[in-house]
Parts: sequence; C-alpha cells; structure tokens
Amino acid sequence: MINRALVIGAGIAGIQASLDIANSGYQVALVERQPSIGGHMAQLSETFPTLDCSQCIMTPRTVEVGHHENIKLYTYSQVAEVSGTPGDFTVKIRQKTKYVNWDNCTGCGVCQEKCPWKAPAEFDRGLGVRKAIYTLSPQAVPNKPVVNPDVCVRLQSIAKGEKLKCGACLKFCPTNSIDFQQTESFVEVHVGAIVVATGFDLFPQTRLPEYGGGQIPDVIDALAFERLLSASGPTGGQVKRPSDGKEPREVVFVQCSGSRDPEHGVPYCSKICCMYTAKQAILYKHRVHHGQPYVFYIDIRAGGKGYEEFINRAQQDEGVVYLRGKVSKIYRDGDKVMVWGSDTLSGRKVEIAADLVILSMAAVPAISANGHRVPGLELALDMDGFYQSSDAELAPMESNLPGVFLAGAGIGPKDIPETVAQASGAAAKVLGMFRQALR
Amino acid sequence: MRKVGVFICHCGINIAGSVDVEKVAEEINRYPGVAFATTYKYICSDPGQQIIKNAIQEHGLDGVIVAACSPAMHETTFRRTAAAAGMNPYLLECANIREQCSWVHQNDRARATDKALYTIQSMVEKVKRNEALDPLSLPLTKKAMVIGGGIAGITAALDIADAGYPVILVEQSDHLGGKMSNLSGTYLNFAAAPDLLTRRVDRVMNHPNIQVITDAEVTQVDGYVGNFKATVKRVGQDAILSYDVGAIVAATGYASYPLSRLPEYGGGTIPDVMDALTFEAMLAPSAKFARPSDGKSPKEVVFVQCAGSRDPEHGVPYCSQVCCMVVAKQAMLFKERMPHGQAYVFYIDIRSAGKGYDEYVQRAMTDARALYLRGKVSKIYQDGNKVIVWGSDTLSNRAIEIAADLVVLATPMAAPDGTKELAQRLHISTDANGFYNEAHPKLRPVESLTAGVFLAGAGQGPKDIPETVAQASAAAAKVLQLFSRDEMKAEPTIAQVIPELCSACGLCVKACPYGARQVDEILQVATVNPALCQACGACAAACPNKASVVRNWTPTQILFMADVLV
Repeated sequence: MINRALVIGAGIAGIQASLDIANSGYQVALVERQPSIGGHMAQLSETFPTLDCSQCIMTPRTVEVGHHENIKLYTYSQVAEVSGTPGDFTVKIRQKTKYVNWDNCTGCGVCQEKCPWKAPAEFDRGLGVRKAIYTLSPQAVPNKPVVNPDVCVRLQSIAKGEKLKCGACLKFCPTNSIDFQQTESFVEVHVGAIVVATGFDLFPQTRLPEYGGGQIPDVIDALAFERLLSASGPTGGQVKRPSDGKEPREVVFVQCSGSRDPEHGVPYCSKICCMYTAKQAILYKHRVHHGQPYVFYIDIRAGGKGYEEFINRAQQDEGVVYLRGKVSKIYRDGDKVMVWGSDTLSGRKVEIAADLVILSMAAVPAISANGHRVPGLELALDMDGFYQSSDAELAPMESNLPGVFLAGAGIGPKDIPETVAQASGAAAKVLGMFRQALR
Repeated sequence: MRKVGVFICHCGINIAGSVDVEKVAEEINRYPGVAFATTYKYICSDPGQQIIKNAIQEHGLDGVIVAACSPAMHETTFRRTAAAAGMNPYLLECANIREQCSWVHQNDRARATDKALYTIQSMVEKVKRNEALDPLSLPLTKKAMVIGGGIAGITAALDIADAGYPVILVEQSDHLGGKMSNLSGTYLNFAAAPDLLTRRVDRVMNHPNIQVITDAEVTQVDGYVGNFKATVKRVGQDAILSYDVGAIVAATGYASYPLSRLPEYGGGTIPDVMDALTFEAMLAPSAKFARPSDGKSPKEVVFVQCAGSRDPEHGVPYCSQVCCMVVAKQAMLFKERMPHGQAYVFYIDIRSAGKGYDEYVQRAMTDARALYLRGKVSKIYQDGNKVIVWGSDTLSNRAIEIAADLVVLATPMAAPDGTKELAQRLHISTDANGFYNEAHPKLRPVESLTAGVFLAGAGQGPKDIPETVAQASAAAAKVLQLFSRDEMKAEPTIAQVIPELCSACGLCVKACPYGARQVDEILQVATVNPALCQACGACAAACPNKASVVRNWTPTQILFMADVLV
C-alpha cells in the first residue's frame, strides 16, 4: 500500500479531500488542469444562504493547500494515464507547457503588467480581459503565470519561423523565468488511492438559440453575472451591462435554462440554480437600489438548511418578483432585450423589456465538456455523463473501480455543503484503505 | 524595543474603497515601535504572504500587525506564515479594519481612515507587549463514540472502525437501523431498503472494533476534545457505564411531527389520515394493504405535501427536503399494490433536485398516473366512510374537493424530543428549529463549534439518504484526522494564574462558563484546564486579586490600547 493519494481536480471538493488526507499525515498529489486552484467557487462573489464572501472563506484553504508539507500541487496539468492496482497505482501526469519557469518565478506580476496582448478572461467568462501571460485572478494559488500560445505573439512568430516578435515579458522579468523553449513534461507518481473531483461546467448558450444562442451581449450566464457582482471582478463589483456599460434597471433571471428539458437540453435538474438565482437577485438589489429583478421559474427548489427562509427573504424583503412560467423566447430590440414568458398562476403571458438577462444554464460534467478520458481510469458514467456511484444511495463516493473514489459535482450537480461532505467522505474511504493496510 | 511590521490590506475595494490605506501606511510608519509598514491588494494571497515573510526576515521584525479582515478569517493562516518566516506566531495580531471599519463606514472616508489608523495603533500597543508563546500539547484517546444507530451512525461507525479505531455505538431503541428500517423501498432503488440496511447492520454487529449498546442514552459528557468521559445509562438498569473517548459523533436523526399539530387536516382524530412513515408500513410487501378504520384497501389516496413545512405561522418555517420524493415513491408503490387506484398529490413546488430525481417524479406522473395538483389543502374532514379533502389547483384556478379513502400527510422532519438536552450535554448548540448547529453552513457542515464533537445526518437538518451517508463519512474523516496524531495542539493564548496573588477563593471557578477552572485544594491555588479555556476573560474580571490573567490580553496591554482610543 502506497500511502499517497492522487486527487484529480482542485475545486472545493478536491481541496477539501486533499486537506483531510494531508492533515491525517499522508501525502497527496493534487492535479488541476487550470493554472491555479479553486474551481468555480473561486469565481463566486458571495455564497448562499449566508452571503459569505466566497474568496474570504476559500482563501484560508487554498493557501493551506499551497503551503502544506504533505500536498504536492500539479497545476496546469492533467492525468495522462493510470496503471497498476488499488494500493499501488502508477500515475502519469502531463504538465502542460507554461513557458514560465515556476521554480524561479516569484509571482511579482511585472510580466502581466508589461504584456501588450489581451484576450477575453476565461475566469471572468469573457467579460473582462487578461494578457497573453496571465494568472486567473489576483488571489491565485499558485500565483504564477502561464503563457497562452493562442494570444502570445512571440510564440506564434516562433511557430511560424518568422522574425521574433515582442518578448516584453522576457525583457522585464526580474528573475529570468520566461522560457519560450519550454516543452510539456511528464511526471510519474505512485499512489495507493485516487479521488476524482473534476466538477462541473455550464451548458453552452449556443445550444439555446431561442434564448439568443450566446449572440446577445446582454444575455449572460450566472457565472458571468457572478463576476459582475464580484468586488474583484472586471467591473469592481458594479453591475454594468456588457453591451454599453450602463447600469441595468430591469433584470430578468431565467431558471432551468437547458435543465429539466429532455428534448432540447438535459433531462435532469441542476439543483443549485434556484438558490443562486435568489442570491444573485438579492445581491443585485443591494447594488442597484432602484432596480427590479424578475425570476421566471418552474419549481423553487430550496431544500437545504436555511434555504427556504432565504427564498422568502428574496420574495418578501427584497422585492424580487417571482413568475411561475417558462420563457419561450429572448431577442434583442434596440438596446433592450425582450423576454417572452408566462405567469401560469395568473394565466397570462408576460413580456419584459429587460436591460440584462441572466440564464441559469444547466450544470454539465466538466470531463464531458472538456472531452478528457484517462486510459486506465475507465470510470462508469451515467447517461448524462456524470460519474456513476457504485450505489447512489448508500455508497455515493465509491466508483466502479476499487481504490478510486468520487466527490462533488462530477457525480451530479450539488451545492457547496454537500460537496464538502462528499469530499471529506471520500477522504475517509482513502484513510480507511491506508489504515487497513497497516494490519 | 519591539520592531513591529504593519501590513495593510486593500482587500480589493472592500477596505481601500472606504479607507485611504496608503495614508494609513504612511502615518503608522511614523508610530513609535513600527519599523516597517506597507499595503497590498490581497494580503491573504500567496504573494501577500510572501511580503510578510520577506519583511520579517529583512527587518528582523518581532511583532506583526496585519490590518485587514476579521481575525476569524485568516489569523491562523497569517500566524502560520509568521512561523514559517521564523517569528513566533503569537507575536502576530490582526487589526480588523474591514468588518469593524470599512464595511460599516462606507460613507465617511475621512473618519473611516482615522478609525482604521487608531485601530491599528491600539493593536501595535498590544503586540509590543505580547509574549512569545508555544502551543500546548494535550493527550488523546483514540476511541470514538457515535450516538445514534441509524444509517448515519452506522456509516460513521463503520468508517472509523474500518480504519482500525474502536467505536462505541450508542442507540436509544432496541435495534439498529433507525428510520431507514421502516422503509419498504427507497426512491431510485426500489430495492427494498431493509435488505441494503441489513447487510450494514450485520457488519456493525460483527465488527471487532465496534461495541453496540442499545436501549441506552448518553447522560453526561465531561472533558474536552481527545479526552471526553461519556456516561451511558441503559433503560431499566441502574448500572452506569463510563467511556473514555477522544471524539463524539452526534447522529441522532429526526422524529415524526405530531399529527395533532394539524387539526385542520384531522390530524390525530381521523383514523384514515396518517403520516408518510405510517403509510410506508402499510405499503410493506408483507403487510395487508388495509386502512385503519375498516381494513378495506383504499382506492382513492390523497397525498398532501408540505403538511406543516414551509409554514412559519402555524408549522415549521423550513422545507423538509425529502417529502416530494417520498410522496412520488409512495404514489408509485401504491399504484403497484392497487393498479386500479388513483393517487392525487397536492404540492406547492416539486423539490426533486437530486440525481435522477426529476425523471423519477415524471414517472410517478406518467407511469403511475398520479395526478399532481399545485395548491395547498385547506381542510380535511370525515364524511361517512370517506375523507373529504378541500384543496385548490392554482394552475387551472379552481377549488378542488376530493372524496378520498385515505390521506397521507407529508409532515415535517422534526428534531426529536431530547435533542436540546443532549446538545447541552455535548456542549453544542441547536438552532431555532431544534437541529444541531454546524460550525459553518458552507465549509464545515459536519463539525460543531465544540472541538471533538461532530455531526452527521438528519440531526443537523432534514436530508435524504445519500447526503446523510456523505455527511457520516465526512464526520468519520474528521475523527480520523483527529486520531492521526499522537497528541493534540491547543492554543496557548489562554488564562493563567499568578500563584503568588491567588487566594484560592474560587470566584473564578464560578465565573467560568466552560468549566475550565478548578481550585487545587492541596496547593491552595486555582488551576486552568488548557483544553477547555476559551480565553473569554470572565475569570480575569472576577478575580479580586488580579491573579487571573489571559495571556497576551493583560490589563497593562488593554490599558495601553485604551489610551490610544480614548
């Protein structure tokens, strides 16, 4: 039995599982495909129902992971192959080319300042900009940048065999850490158990042409709105609409965009949207006092602790108007976005000329969204592409493969408390495995 | 003379938006004792921490103030950073200029800036006089007690025992399995729940590391994390059993809501109006499907969701989470027993958010042809051998009257009687609805605020089986973490007794709300239990001789702080 665990995915699930295992005295190899850890929770402004600042509750954990003597962090990396048996797996990790020597880099940020080339920031869902050399956010762990070949003019000139262009980062880096000759590398680690915590992504707007198909600038998804609300986001927390930067006064939230839609979207419910929509509507009202939020819904799903009371707060105290009905069409009309929906409780059609529309896009498994399959780790997936637990009821963290455990939204959409519980639960299974081998 | 470094965080615009942090840095740099002052965007981030480390080493700092958010957020993180830089961590203090300054004075930049400056100055005065301290080491008993033998308790016990540690499992009733043993099938897994459960119960009963005590309750818990002494009493027996354990998991589950609280639904008076758990027993394959009043098999069955839940005025304000699914399951099981029967379901929202849950409810509607009516039920009464249900269908805007043979009320999952008392014995708290309070609703769902006492399952709040099992394993992980070391570390910033001044009067013992003080009769001096002391300072206030002092919160320090502020 090798007393080291591999954790795939460093969102809150992977982070929690890693900490539980590492704090119990065992080694952890934590692999994350993004340049830094934190997943989607790092993109949130506040969390429901307490309205805690997401970064504030998360950074103690991300920093702990970054500094933990028992955790080896492999970011901007992916698991390429797994072989061996439970208790003795051999894992090949592919470290993508960063073009920056992270052993030397101090994270000073000068390269990002000096780089002249910009691109839409993925972390801000395209609403903000980042440079060709970038970190995801100012609080990134590790706070070291990577160079994106699609945007970096220097790399493109190298690839084309032309005269070398730019090189500003190379020139200004005080520790000589830029390395345009760097190539991807592979690392092999031996582990006894694996925790898969790859999380979720959002269903693409292009799949919903009746809602604008992603072409209307003022129709955005909830993660993008979260970035607008965030004090560390592209607008410093001021709610401004993407098209003209004006403050939106009439804001429409469309729940179940793509979810509960077997014909056209995904058949399942994405679980968290009712709650995060109420949260976003409340936060919007706090920022734009004279604004009016509307929420179109089918059912309000607020089962967790304090959740029902939170919805009541949105409806009764904060003046959010809830309309029970699906939205059939969203289209642009001048500088307004027209929303055609219905209010089944009054039996009437509703048309709203909105300034901004936020779609609660369905949550889909991140692995499917990124098409990443790992040879040697043939995990069973359900019909919707989520990991299949060996028993959904009594063994949700166990997969079809012995020694491989599951946690978080990769199994199915879920909120943070349930994710954290599953992550610690998966850790308990790993610890059990390691300890049993002692006897 | 101490060399104090002051690090002021912008926290994006959270602090810098209301406080002129650069000005504060400039001014505090001139303050006596301050050797270095700087600001940074997010001092909690990696580069921010690096700035602190570098400054400690370059300037030989022996005192640090991090002026940022509340110490509750990052004090531990910053102290670890200081330790890594070679400075004693207890020479680092946080000055709260966010929650207590910038966030509450957003409209007055000048005064907010002043207040931030004074706050930092007072903390500088404190830190100049802080003692360098070392964490205390405490012993640890690597044995766990799990209170509650339902699916949560069983799962937690198995995970802990499988890892090689002994577990005492205390169960109130005479058998293990809890409410799950009453289920005929679970949703998704029509596989009869008793089968799935029996295998686990067998494992528990035969596990070499688990000792099961039924018909028992925990009557007293003394001690502290790693060193609890739990007293257990069995029903009808005088003998008191005492166990030394290091961790406790509270997995006491839920209770059925009393039907008598729903008189408008005939609760407790109409025999054919029952709750879902009772209907579950009627649906058991081995049972004759017979209604209580006359033993006939009911053909028209009405299910009333939210019977008492989501009702702040009259029932409970919360949602019980599982009922939408339970009703869908029972409607399907009912249709299997009575192919010519008809189920009606009155609902407000359908809460079927879990994996495969929505599809499941669809099957109840399409396959079992249950008629779902969106509306609350106002009244239920007996009329001959029928039970009349008055409800509404808000989607067609009509009042509905159904002459039912049987009515199933989806009543709330309630906290069991005695939960509050048990919580008190465990030194943990319960919320307004009687459920255990977790340490943090998002990131610490299975920990209580009392170190060493963990929570799992419906005792913490209504939840379904998958979430219960996840929490139970999570609680086990916390126990395993605790047991992974041979001793525990405790914070040294606690009360201490100056023996020369102590007259053993015992006033501090009475003043301490945590039971952390005792008088040593032989030495005639008060003593402090370092694991229980929470540094509240009540003893320091009570002591007439000033013999009780909280480390790094001495009267001298406080007076110097007050000097700055007054």
